[in-house]
Amino acid sequence: MNDAAPLLEPLRARLAEIGEVDVLVGIPSYNNAATIGHVVRAVQAGFAKYFPDQRTLLLNSDGGSSDGTPDVVQNASISDFQTLLAAHPPRAVHRIVTPYHGIPGKGSAVRTVFAAAREAKARACAIVDADLRSITPEWIDLLVSPVLRQDYDFVAPLYHRHKYDGTITNSIVYPLTRALYGRRVRQPIGGEFGFSGRLAEAYLEQPVWESEVARFGIDIWMTTTAITGSFRVCQAFLGAKIHDAKDPGVDLAAMLTQVVGAVFALMETHAGSWRDVSGSIPVPEFGFEYTVGLEPVRVNVERMVGIFASGVQELAEIWERVLDPETMAQVRALAAVSGDAFRFPVGVWVRAVYDFALAHHRRAINREHLLKSLTPLYLGRTASFVLETAGSDANDVEEAIEAVCLEYERMKPYLIERWEV
Amino acid sequence: MDGSFADRLLGALEAFFEGVVRFLPGLLAALLILVLGALVGWAVKAMARRLLGVARFDRFCDSAGFSSILTRADVRAKPSALLASLLFWLVIASFLMAAASALRVDVINQLIAAFFLYLPRLISALGILLVGFLLGNFVSRAALLAAVNANAPSPRAIGLVVKFLIAILSFAMALEQAEIARSIVIAAFIILFGAVMLALALAFGLGGRDVARHALERHFLKGDAGAVGDDLTHV
Repeated sequence: MNDAAPLLEPLRARLAEIGEVDVLVGIPSYNNAATIGHVVRAVQAGFAKYFPDQRTLLLNSDGGSSDGTPDVVQNASISDFQTLLAAHPPRAVHRIVTPYHGIPGKGSAVRTVFAAAREAKARACAIVDADLRSITPEWIDLLVSPVLRQDYDFVAPLYHRHKYDGTITNSIVYPLTRALYGRRVRQPIGGEFGFSGRLAEAYLEQPVWESEVARFGIDIWMTTTAITGSFRVCQAFLGAKIHDAKDPGVDLAAMLTQVVGAVFALMETHAGSWRDVSGSIPVPEFGFEYTVGLEPVRVNVERMVGIFASGVQELAEIWERVLDPETMAQVRALAAVSGDAFRFPVGVWVRAVYDFALAHHRRAINREHLLKSLTPLYLGRTASFVLETAGSDANDVEEAIEAVCLEYERMKPYLIERWEV
Repeated sequence: MDGSFADRLLGALEAFFEGVVRFLPGLLAALLILVLGALVGWAVKAMARRLLGVARFDRFCDSAGFSSILTRADVRAKPSALLASLLFWLVIASFLMAAASALRVDVINQLIAAFFLYLPRLISALGILLVGFLLGNFVSRAALLAAVNANAPSPRAIGLVVKFLIAILSFAMALEQAEIARSIVIAAFIILFGAVMLALALAFGLGGRDVARHALERHFLKGDAGAVGDDLTHV
């Protein structure tokens, strides 16, 4: 057991007072006063509507918000349950607001939820982001019921998103995770998850809580650990995911570094698990799938192609140490075309991602520099994807993403052959 | 007179032989020290090569950009072999000093004492140069990457300027540490650094007004997505 248990004494005392619970929903937060009230009410309504006979607990694990987030959580409530339910819920929802212990970051907040789940002997748990605007009470049912009633250990979310939304997920994280571990978890870094008490216990035992996982990368870590640990994994369709607008000042290169760095680091940890996997299998799905209207997304393709061309011109010295000579020659050739005719073939992209994973593995250059140098290539591929699918509907786009996934699977031997050389 | 000449000759020869006899043990000791130095040098070299191999020193030099500098300078040896050779010659030099000291010649002893007093400064100056080189490479690459990813104009020039500034700083610090033309070095550094900064300020002010305006707009008008034109959330 990891002795550095993240439960502060007041939280432990409060949990002892409440006793055992059946369902626990955790909400990690940091300065989410504008949105967290809606999330808390949705969770409360979800408990009342779908788990009226269960002992339930809502736990807000806060990272020291200065905008009054904890007060919003304490005060948020549904004034009139009759609009939601035929009868008033028979059980009260326990609610705890607590700061977390450890390195600042979502990972430490989630760890507190795991520890609380262990302390309260929760049978089924879920985590939902505090910035969600589209969460409904049904999300709680969809994330918790597969665990509580079908004995699944991990429930990943399935969303409908705009065709150009989540491009890092679509071009790197989903296809790479799928090719590596052989499970088709469509949103491995979705942010909302359901999990069993057994899995929460297993998460807590992992010696990662003083590492980068505590800061960022907790989502992909949870998904990968569940898959590689042979836990029963499924996914639930939650509808549209609309969350608070991210700070536009957030640097794409930093975000890409964090996300891809976490995936590559997990490749190292689980090298023994993925080398013998070929192809992939679907995971069971829950929920009623329906189409949703999505807000249009503006994309500046010209700027993306410009950054890609600048990368080819300026970063050749770095890329030559990372990319296979054949891949490098292909990448150079791509920069000769601009405008709407620009294309970044999926085969070249997948080889480039595998070359970056290999360079990360053998520490060809400083890892942060390596990951930051991926940004122009990623933007080139994203621009190409936007141009290729300009006239496509959601289904066509999903087929295009499927083609990317199949290419990752087809080229996996390329990665395996070079991994230990 | 004859007797006196013969006595003098014999006396001189006697003094010479006495000198030789006094000098010979020192010379022999010096030769022995040199042989021992060569043996220790070879042992240090072999051990260093093995340890550097285990520590993957060549790979570190590759990632730090040191190997590419050597290649550009047409040095074909591996960095680990170079460092091992450097250690070998350091050992040889140290034993050479000890051997010279064993000869018990005052002038040589004074020179050796002065050299050993200066050696720490020389080593720290070389250390400063090495750290400056590694830091310059690292920071200039970080600046180049940041400039490319931000779609800034002339990213390579930005990287080179950063590298040049760090090189100037470390070179001046190294010369100052080695006590070579101290006052001239400090004066030259101040003038050169000031000139570079002024040139940069002028270049940015005159040539990069638009860049500065865009940068300030992006910083202060964060909500204005039109500055970039993307709504992509990426993850």
